[in-house]
Amino acid sequence: MAERALSDILEDTFVRCRGLELPLADRLQAFADEVGRLVPHFAVAVDKLVKRLAENNAGATAPKVGEPMPTFLLPDERGRLVTLDDLLGEGPVAIAFHRGYWCPYCRINIDALARAEEEIAAEHHHVAAIVPDRQRFAVWLKSDAKAPFPVLTDMDNGYAMSLGLAICVGEEMKHMMVSSGWDPSVSQGTDNWVLPIPATFIVGTDGIIRGRFVDPDYRMRMAIEDMLAALRLAR
Amino acid sequence: MHHIRYFLAVSETLNFSRAAERCNVAQPSLTRAIKALEAELGGELLRRERALSHLTELGQRMHPMLRQCYEAAHAAKTLADSIRKREVAPLSVAVSHTVALAPFTPRLRELSRVIPGLQLKLRRGSGSEIAEYLKSGETELVIAGPLSEAWSRLDTFPLYDEPFDLVVSRTHGLATRNRVEFKDLASETFLINTGCEMVEELRACLGAHGALNAVIHEVMTQEDLLALLKANLGIAIVPVGAAKTNDLCQVPLEQLDLVRRVSVYTVAGRHRGIACGTLLNMLRAADWSFRHGDAARAVSP
Repeated sequence: MAERALSDILEDTFVRCRGLELPLADRLQAFADEVGRLVPHFAVAVDKLVKRLAENNAGATAPKVGEPMPTFLLPDERGRLVTLDDLLGEGPVAIAFHRGYWCPYCRINIDALARAEEEIAAEHHHVAAIVPDRQRFAVWLKSDAKAPFPVLTDMDNGYAMSLGLAICVGEEMKHMMVSSGWDPSVSQGTDNWVLPIPATFIVGTDGIIRGRFVDPDYRMRMAIEDMLAALRLAR
Repeated sequence: MHHIRYFLAVSETLNFSRAAERCNVAQPSLTRAIKALEAELGGELLRRERALSHLTELGQRMHPMLRQCYEAAHAAKTLADSIRKREVAPLSVAVSHTVALAPFTPRLRELSRVIPGLQLKLRRGSGSEIAEYLKSGETELVIAGPLSEAWSRLDTFPLYDEPFDLVVSRTHGLATRNRVEFKDLASETFLINTGCEMVEELRACLGAHGALNAVIHEVMTQEDLLALLKANLGIAIVPVGAAKTNDLCQVPLEQLDLVRRVSVYTVAGRHRGIACGTLLNMLRAADWSFRHGDAARAVSP
């Protein structure tokens, strides 16, 4: 019998954690705990990577609250080109970087954003997710969470890198990911093994950042309540 | 991002002080930035010697990736500003004769919607002609089947695989057949476009199936090939996308397994205009899996 990839083994666990009626942080933590319990060596490697990123101040140069959000031009999941100005024309927007369709933490995060859609839309606010994945995979990520917001493709992490949000996965983690069934080179269309830090920026219609969350520990994401509060402040 | 710029400058000049000069930065800052990049990547990238530094094995491996990332980030920085200012954005594209334009026109239309200053220059040619345009800098981006050019500066991004099929005039006797075999073609006249990127593979395929003794007419452009096909001067084996017109029909040919990979090509290290960079990203990001129904397959890297 062929050995099941770790990604397959964890899928059931993932589905259970995603389905929990708990705040985003608790669902992310529940999944991280399960990884630690089921595959301790993987969790150790993740801690090591996060430690390295923290020591090198990964993400420290990303734009800050009060600064203008650098604009972008990226294709959405249907191939339509979207600029930050287009999005801001409809109201304040939360720009959420994600690592890819294959990442369980990102899928939980996207699910939480989709669940919050009613509240977000009620106040004429918007969300846009950015992934380094190509459209086929952006479509998958969007439909997996029934997300109503656009999922934009940032080829080669160009925009993320220009914001200081791109990190090198490194050889050890790369081998571990490939052998576990997570291979972003397929969805990214490049074998650079670069990933974005999954940061979130709340941008007002004036283009100024009113809230942000940047943590090189990709298991941590901006709390939905914090995002909603920052969107309310942004006009 | 400046870490990578410094690294690229050293790997081009192979000299720390010249690289510092080029980046307009003090040498100690450049050295510090490279150390930081090395810490981030988990190994030494450059071995420093008095006059000439050189790339380590890790440095050589990371160089193309870092260059690609830097170009992508640089493009992201300049692009949106330039659009806001409605700057003129020239875009010179060359497409092989044998590649149908139809799947690319919606992308060009989308590009022109977003980049009001777009000025498109579109050329057609044989594989070798458009490869030459790319080399000489007359064109920034090429869409074609496999190019025979072995050129280290050619960046190749695969889009989709396109099968070949037998194409005949609607008035040809074979047009009504559900399928044919090579032995049914023994008395046919073949038309060959010598400007096709896959002409050698096509000849080899005909040879392997004993069809090389047939009469062969040669043309040099796809336009002429289609004209002769419509006039029923012969039959042809062509990429399926390139012969979709009402006067012609495809006939499934048993044992034919010729497939070509359509890619987009650019030149490594050459400055890309904003329109070119955006189009390249659109083409690479696009989902090509439904291009010919089930016939064409999207390509993984």
